[in-house]
Amino acid sequence: MANPSKDDPDRYPPLGRALLWVDRPGSANKLFWGLAAFCVVLFLLDFTYHKHGHFVVEDYPGFFGIYGFVMFTLLILAAKALRVLIKRNEGFYGDKAIDTEAYPEDQLERVDNGD
Amino acid sequence: MAINLIPTAFLFFAAALLLLVLPQGRIRGAVLLALPLVAALQVFNLPEGIYAQADFFGFTLELMRVDRLSRVFGLIFCIAAFLGNLYAWHVRDTVQQVAALLYAGAAIGAVFAGDLITLFFYWEGTAIASVFLIWARRTTGAYHTGMRYLIIQIASGVILLAGAAIHYRETGSLAFELMTLGSLGTWLIFLSFGMKCAFPLLHNWLQDSYPAATVTGTVILSAFTTKLAVYALARGFAGTEILIYIGAVMTLFPIFFAEIENDLRRVLAYSLNNQLGFMVVGIGVGTEMALNGTASHAFAHILYKALLFMSVGAVLYRTGTSKASELGGLYRTMPRTAAFCLVGAASISAFPLFSGFVTKSLILDETAAAHYPIIWAALVFASAGVLSHSGIKIPFFTFFAHDSGLRPKEAPMHMQLAMGITAFLCIFIGVFPAPLYAMLPYPVEFHPYTMAHVVGQMQLLCFALLAFGVLMRTGIHPPEIRAVNLDTDWTYRWFMPRVIGSMARVISTVWTARETLMVATGNGILRRLYRSHGPEGRIARVWPTGAMVIWIAVLLGVTLMVNFAS
Repeated sequence: MANPSKDDPDRYPPLGRALLWVDRPGSANKLFWGLAAFCVVLFLLDFTYHKHGHFVVEDYPGFFGIYGFVMFTLLILAAKALRVLIKRNEGFYGDKAIDTEAYPEDQLERVDNGD
Repeated sequence: MAINLIPTAFLFFAAALLLLVLPQGRIRGAVLLALPLVAALQVFNLPEGIYAQADFFGFTLELMRVDRLSRVFGLIFCIAAFLGNLYAWHVRDTVQQVAALLYAGAAIGAVFAGDLITLFFYWEGTAIASVFLIWARRTTGAYHTGMRYLIIQIASGVILLAGAAIHYRETGSLAFELMTLGSLGTWLIFLSFGMKCAFPLLHNWLQDSYPAATVTGTVILSAFTTKLAVYALARGFAGTEILIYIGAVMTLFPIFFAEIENDLRRVLAYSLNNQLGFMVVGIGVGTEMALNGTASHAFAHILYKALLFMSVGAVLYRTGTSKASELGGLYRTMPRTAAFCLVGAASISAFPLFSGFVTKSLILDETAAAHYPIIWAALVFASAGVLSHSGIKIPFFTFFAHDSGLRPKEAPMHMQLAMGITAFLCIFIGVFPAPLYAMLPYPVEFHPYTMAHVVGQMQLLCFALLAFGVLMRTGIHPPEIRAVNLDTDWTYRWFMPRVIGSMARVISTVWTARETLMVATGNGILRRLYRSHGPEGRIARVWPTGAMVIWIAVLLGVTLMVNFAS
């Protein structure tokens, strides 16, 4: 940053300042364990009402949670494997693609916070 | 009212003409905003029926067929045009302004088309008008990308025309009504719709071109072309079973690509493709409720997809990049854009109280009720996939995650306003689905907010979020890196040009070799002839006298024989 005052949190918009909490040490941990606790609650909620889904599996307690967790993980692992196969340099398609082009500056309005 | 006699599309075309004589600035901006609202009012108030017929080489064109299916699509197209133009308030580029109006007008015209000829004209109209939103970037890459886009879009229209002509020969009718797949004509029409709808293997124009358009152009592009195709499929091929399988594949394969794509506008294009899959499944199931699901999901989708493209566009507008690897931590100085983006992310992920929840549930429920367990499981998986790229990746890697050090100013006020209205609509539909349900093609008997729906969906999403947390903490989640990923466009952008190139080289080599050989052989013959018959040749030595004597003898002989015979 050329001008260090731009990085002064006091000059951030109020909402931005309020959100700075997420970057405090330990916040990510709190969010993660909070989410985990919420998941446990959601799982237990499945015992409190009668389910009558279209398929038998829907009636198992926690089916959607476990399915979501497992499939999400498999998705990420599969995507990682896919990347090995199909990843190429950004300039792979040369000048016939926009991948390495800078966006035309005259169509932008690049302004820093506080300017 | 007199305005009812004018097809809605013509309002847009007239406004596009009017723009040309208006000065840039507020007056033009006002027209760009007012016109879609007037059009929306017209569409909303028009009673069902057929308006504005025209004769065309002995055919009767139906320019304005209003029924419940076309009305809901026409209405959301008008709203999308308004929001897109509001977002583009700062643009002072006549090309983009006129293109946006013509494009929206053509899409709306196609939705209200009652026959295949009218549909064809507007179908091509959307292709030609929209490509200018890509070319308006005015770079070499955008030019070539626009060309690829245009070729595919025009091809879709040409196939539609061919299909319509064959269909007419087979049935004697050009009405755009429910068709049964079977004849060549209907298959061609189906293929044409499928190209615009980004069916698997026909999809790549979408991911190729949308990230290449201008900041505002992509927002406008995202609304019309593909949803027009969804409408056309719902109109022409509802209940066609093959659509269920096509749709399911469409929901699945883009989520893997979206996960590893770096350009966030391309991630959104993959995500758009995935959402189209849900709508296509609904069309394939084809029951009244499933079609309701498709129409309502298209309605909600246009809004939250526009919202996501707007928020990423605002970041691009302020930072010059939309690449995840270059972004991060922008919530500090663009918190409102971040908040709007989160609303879009929650809507597309179908969190309860957001629009995606009340519309996608319709499709999922109908798929289950129609007993397609594998398709249903695929759709639920795809719903978790949506969360991974649109729900998490877009907001997280843009506005949170590691600090990129960028401190851009908050988005301009008109962009915030456009995002704010869109975000409001996303939440409103989620909380009060009744007004949207009331507009759907068929009566709705559906309650999205049951305990089982809410808890099931929350479990799916929250456990998936938890999985994301685990994968991030263990470092397994793939990092954002500067790269491109190959997709089917590799075949026509890299492979075919090289195949053709090497074939050309082989053919030209063979051709040259053949020519060289011929010349060499010819030269050899000439040289030998020259050696024997040339001035210095052995035969030439006896030519002048010897040859003459022989020929005179032959002539005399012939004369003698002729005399003797006569």
